Formats: sequence, structure tokens, C-alpha cells
Amino acid sequence: MKEIIRITLGLTLSCFFAAMIMGAAFVITDRSKKQNEYNNTQATMLGLLGYGKENPAPEELRLYPVYRYIVEEDGETYLGYMVPVRASNHEAYEFLMLDLQGRLVRSFPLDISLKRAIEDSERQKILKETIKTETAFAYQDQTVIACLRDKRVAYLLPGEFTGFKTFIEVMLALDPQFNIIGLEIVEHEEDPGLGAEIEQDYFKNQFRDKSFDRLKNLAVIKEPLPDDYRRYLEDPDTLSAEELEKIRNQYLDKDIHALTGATISSRAVTNGTKNLVKRFAYRIKILDEVIAGHQIPAVI
Amino acid sequence: MRSMIRRYAFRSIWLLLSFPLFFTGCNVEHPFIKKAAFKDSLSISIEFAGEPDTDWATNPGNYNVYEKRDPDVLLSISEVILSPDKRTVIIKFDGEINQTELHVVALTPIRSQGKDLGAALLNVKRLYIGELFAILIGAMLINNYVFTKYLGLCVFFGTSKKRDTAVGMGITFTIVIVASAMMSWFLYQFVLKPFELDFLQVVVFIGMVSLSVQAVDTVLRKVNPALFKAFGVYLVLVIANCIILAVPLTLADNEYSAMESLMLALGAGTGFLLALFLMSSVRERLELADIPPTYRGLPIAFVTAGLFALAFMGFSGLAIF
Amino acid sequence: MAATKKTNKELVINGILLENPIFRLALSMCPAVGLTTSIKNGLLLGSAVLFVQICSSCTIAAIKNIIHPRIRIPTYTLTIATWVTVIDLVLAAYVPVAYKEMGIFVKLIVAFAIITMRLETFACKNTVSASFWDGLGMGIGFMFGMVSIGFVRELLGAGTILGYDALGFKPLLFFVLPAAGFFCVGIMMALFNYIEAVYNRLKERRQ
Repeated sequence: MKEIIRITLGLTLSCFFAAMIMGAAFVITDRSKKQNEYNNTQATMLGLLGYGKENPAPEELRLYPVYRYIVEEDGETYLGYMVPVRASNHEAYEFLMLDLQGRLVRSFPLDISLKRAIEDSERQKILKETIKTETAFAYQDQTVIACLRDKRVAYLLPGEFTGFKTFIEVMLALDPQFNIIGLEIVEHEEDPGLGAEIEQDYFKNQFRDKSFDRLKNLAVIKEPLPDDYRRYLEDPDTLSAEELEKIRNQYLDKDIHALTGATISSRAVTNGTKNLVKRFAYRIKILDEVIAGHQIPAVI
Repeated sequence: MRSMIRRYAFRSIWLLLSFPLFFTGCNVEHPFIKKAAFKDSLSISIEFAGEPDTDWATNPGNYNVYEKRDPDVLLSISEVILSPDKRTVIIKFDGEINQTELHVVALTPIRSQGKDLGAALLNVKRLYIGELFAILIGAMLINNYVFTKYLGLCVFFGTSKKRDTAVGMGITFTIVIVASAMMSWFLYQFVLKPFELDFLQVVVFIGMVSLSVQAVDTVLRKVNPALFKAFGVYLVLVIANCIILAVPLTLADNEYSAMESLMLALGAGTGFLLALFLMSSVRERLELADIPPTYRGLPIAFVTAGLFALAFMGFSGLAIF
Repeated sequence: MAATKKTNKELVINGILLENPIFRLALSMCPAVGLTTSIKNGLLLGSAVLFVQICSSCTIAAIKNIIHPRIRIPTYTLTIATWVTVIDLVLAAYVPVAYKEMGIFVKLIVAFAIITMRLETFACKNTVSASFWDGLGMGIGFMFGMVSIGFVRELLGAGTILGYDALGFKPLLFFVLPAAGFFCVGIMMALFNYIEAVYNRLKERRQ
């Protein structure tokens, strides 16, 4: 009997010590992990807009995230947007509740800073505190609006869709007329050498400069990439300015060339991007009408 | 004894598989509507219990279709066709619909023979059992844990020398992995997730594995000593198997429900059994072949496994459901 | 097995050549097949295993007198699981991109037979410092195995070494596939067998 007690005691103590060590490691590394994630996302977004180490972003460039929610209240479904607004000399958020036809139902201010709102748990907390009723807020996605001196210069859309294997996460950059500035593949689980080639320049750069109208019926063609187009996509520095212009105009309205042996992955990225942009354009139009119509002091 | 195992196996598999038959995919809550389902990649079909008015049924304006996760984006309908027997309508869309998503069809008040039968809200999605089978086949063939994900190799090469050993190991492994996967699912859903203790995943899951091995060991010893004598020795090897930890980690990562976890564990176990069976059949023959001395034993087994892996690559992208 | 009388250097060499975990002991082969598509992955996982091996060996050697013999195995498992969680959290926080490439293999270190076996056969009977050197040898041996396979696969399959282009012609896609992992490990094992046979023959001839 004493044996069993000793054994149980020994095991419990070791579990306790182990939990202490792991808990300490977790607390120490969690903050750096979140910081690194944030830095990586910022770097990807600035990279898409053309800024980097050699070309740092100007001081007045601001990136404002807009968070989209689906709200369930009393059995009715609403759309919710957390929009950054100017509130007496500092920036805060305003929550706009729209019905499914795009009309503003309610709006209320949220006392949360831009920095704290990056955390999903913080947003949920402030929503629960401000609305004390039995409303359910389900986070859907976010859009980052890049503003330079109070004017919109770009929309940055992080998105996720089904690929050939599991999922593909992308970051899309659009100009204010919804033409594509650039596409970046953030994460995927495709086969190396086949589907994983979507992260190569010669595939994802094909989406650059495609106009919104062209994107709406963009298809994938199973033809090999022409050599001059490939050079334009991978090594633009080796071509002169007029050659670049010529190739760009030649392929501007063409469809996307599929990857060899990865047609499904190529189609997944093309269709996923198409859907992302179409839905975003539809929603931002409605949101802008609401902001203008009700004179919301949005900073975007 | 082998026939006894087979009987037990079949009975339990039938029992497990008949449960999800109660989870069909088309949810209808209106007395006038019998069924609503995906017809193909461009249309949805709705079957009525009676005959709706023709002019109501063929008017696209009476149908609002959207994906459940995007209720504000209505899919554009190109036309609505009424079948000759006037009881089924087929809604055709402008673009392809994503059948993996749950769709909602909102009907304005149905008019039939001049009477107003009220509005209806229909959920349309693929059969749940189809999704479950997809996970099972996925874990068994497409993402076979040995040949596609290269896990569990130590045990794999150790026990695939003879066919009897291999089959014994495979069956023991399947039982343990189903037990430990279900227990890990319980713990993950009700302890780790609510208290945000995700970083304790590794310790908890490996603990569950040890517990399952111990439990199966004790149960088998009491219930069926003959079975225990045959399979007991493999139980210890199960802990050293990477797959036994990979399955709980996967189901925690993808947030599977209970049924889906069961399917994943079953698929992983039977996939391992299949791999062991194939490998042992080949290795028994290799023993009699004339192999260079440096390649005898493990090296040639690895090369064989490589050939199998190449063959299993053919399953990549298989999507029946 | 009594406490070893080997020197520290001999312990390390033992881990790399004579009792190399991948090629000679044929343990922990899962990452050897799966993660050797590039040298960088091999190095990262190798260092993770090195960390876990050294820490677990030292911990067990330090507390070997207080462990009750009947709960030996659960204690080993608990120790390894703790250190694996720690290195997992550290890698996820500081090298997120490389960590994602390694997928669940870091968490699976806890199931590697090599570490438990080393604890069972060595750490519970030797001092902390001897266990440290043995763990170091084993870890470096593992890293050596991973890097050598990764070198072949990355050079022939992607045409690069650690990201720098090294091949003049188009690389062979086959070597990046998982099947090639099996082939390469099998061929390298045969190579080690051959080297051992030649070594033994030379030793015999000398005597």
C-alpha cells in the first residue's frame, strides 16, 4: 500500500514540475510568437505594395484593419463591421451592424485601440462588454486598407481557400479600383515541385496588373509559359524599360498559364482569388455607402 | 482464431458505420417540401410534396440562395426549370457552386393551387456520411500514414518480416489507435480547449496513448487470454509508433468532431494494416531472393517501401465524395 | 550494463559512427525519410533532437536515484514530453517559417524510440556528465544522418545547397518526392554496411 502511495506521489510531483516548466516556456515564448507573426504579416503587406528594405514605406502610410463579423441577434442574421474612426483626437473603432440588404441597423462605439484590436480575444471581450445582450459575434475575416495622407491607396486582403491538398492562404493587394497590384502565397500544403510552385514568381506574378473586369472571367490555360513572359515575371531587371512595357501590354488581358503538373492547384488559386475580389468589391461598396450616408467619421 | 477476429472486426465495423446513416445532409423543415439536394456542379433540385403553381415555381425571384457563411452574397440564378411531373424544380446558377459549403435556399411564400403555404428556409449540403467516408478513405489510401506521410517506420520495418506478425501488429494497432484517439478527442474538447492549455497537447496525448495501451492490455488479459498471448507482445511496440501520436495531433489541429475523429483513427489503423500486409508479403519473398550482401535486411526493405510509396502516389487527389 | 568506462570523446564518436541512430540502430527513421528534402530542415530537426536528447539524458541521470523502478517508463515519457513541448514552443516563436515546414515532426520527437532507448540503456546508469556527452554524440549522429541524406536529396532534387544554386542543369524532381526518401535511406544504409564490411576486412588483414 505504501508503495502505491509513494508511486502516486512521485508521479503527481513530477507532473507538477513538468507543468511548471512548460507553463514558463509557454508564457515566455507566446509574446515573441505573436510579435513575430505580426512583423511577418506587416512585411508581406508592405512587400506587396512595393516597399522593402531598399524602399522603405513613407511615414504617412497607415494600414487600417477593418474586421468583418456575422452577428446573430434574436434569430436574425446581420453583418457587422468594425471600422476605425476618429474620436476626439485619437483613433478608436465603431461597430456598424447592417442587415443583409445593406442598410444600417445600429452602430455603437468600441473603446479599443488599433493595437489591441489585432488580438481576436480582445475584440471578443470588448464586444461582449459593450453589448450586454445575448448577441453572438462570429469573426469572419479582415481587410487592411492602406491610406496615404488620408487617401486610400490600396486594399490588402488576407484570404484562405481550398487548394489541391488542403488549404492555400494568400495575401492579395488591390488598388482602389479593385485591379490587382500583387498576390503573395502565405501558406499552403501542396506537393513540393508540383503544387508548391504556386509560390514561385513565374506563377504568382501573372496575377499582377490584372484589371477587375478581366479578373471576373479569368480562366486557366494549359499552355507552356512563353520565354519572354517568363523573363518578365522572374527577372524584370534584365529587360529594358520599353521591352517591359511591350511584354506587359501583350499579356495584360491573357489568361493564367497553369503550372506543369499542377492544373488543379493553379485553378484553385485563380478561382479563389476571383471569389475573394468579387465578394470584397461587393461588400466594400455597401460599406462605403453606409459610411457616407450616415456620416460616420471613418479614417478610411 | 483468425475467423474469430474477422467476425469481431466485421460486426464492430458494421455497428460503427450504421450510426452516421442518421445524419443525412438535407435538412427540410417545411411540410410541403420533401427533399432539397445538390444536383450537379451548376444546380440544386427541390422536390415538393405536392404541385406548386407553375408561374410561382419558375420565377427565379422567389428563390434566394446563398452560402451559409456569406449570407449577404446572393448567388445569381440563370433559370428555374419545373419537371414534367410538376413536383420537382431545378435551380440553375450562372457559375459553379461550391458543393463543399453549406448552402441555404430561402423560398418566398409558396403558392400551390391558389393557397399560400408560407415561406421556407432549406439547408442544402452534401451527405454527412459522404464526408465521413472521404476522411476514412483519405486516411487509408490518399494520405496513407506509412507511404505518404512516412510515420511509424521503425515499427513498420521491425514487424513486417512475416505475414502473421504483420497482421497481428496491424490489428492491435488499429484497436489501440481508435481507443486513444477517442479519449484524446474527449480531453481536447472538454479540458484543453476551454482552458486554453493547447501547449500541453504533447504530454496529454502521449499520456492517453500509454493509458490506452495499459487498458487494452488489462482488458485483453482478462477477457481473452488466447488473443492476449498472440497479440500482447505488440502492445508495447505501439507506444514507439509515431502514428499513434500523429492522429490525435491531426484531429486537434483540424478540430474534427467525434465521428470524424473515429473515421480518421479507423482509416489510419486500416491503412497501417494494409501497408504492413503488403510489405510483409513482399519481404517474405525477398528472403528467398538473391540480394547483394550489403543490401540484405533493411536496405532492400527501404527500397521496396520506396517503390510502394511511388505506387501510392497514384491515389493523390482521389475525390469520390 | 555497468557504468561505462569510455572517455567523453569516445562516447561522441560512438554516437556518430558506431551506433549511429539512423543507419546502424535503425531507429527514428521517420524524419530521415520525411524531412530530408532540404539540408536546412535536417539541421533544424537535428538540433531540436539534440536539445531534447541532452536535456532528457541529464535530467534522468540527475534524478535516477529517486525514480521508483516501477514507474520508470512513465517518468522517461514525461521528461521527454516536457522537453519536446519546450523546444516546440521555442521554435514556433522564433523561426515560424521553418517550423511550419517541419509540421508535426517536432511534436513527434516524443515518440522517437532512440531517445527513450538511450535513457533506458545509458542515462539511468551513468553520471550526468557522461550522459551529456552520450546525448551529444547521439544527437550529432542523428544530425549527421539527416544532413547527409538531405545533402543528396536537395542537391539532386532542387539543385540547391542551403538555398544557393549549385547544380548546372535542371534538377530531378524525383528526389523531392517522399518515395526518394525511402530509396536514399536504403542506399545509404547499404553504403554504411559496405564501409563496415571493408573496415572489418582491413582489421582482419592487419591481424
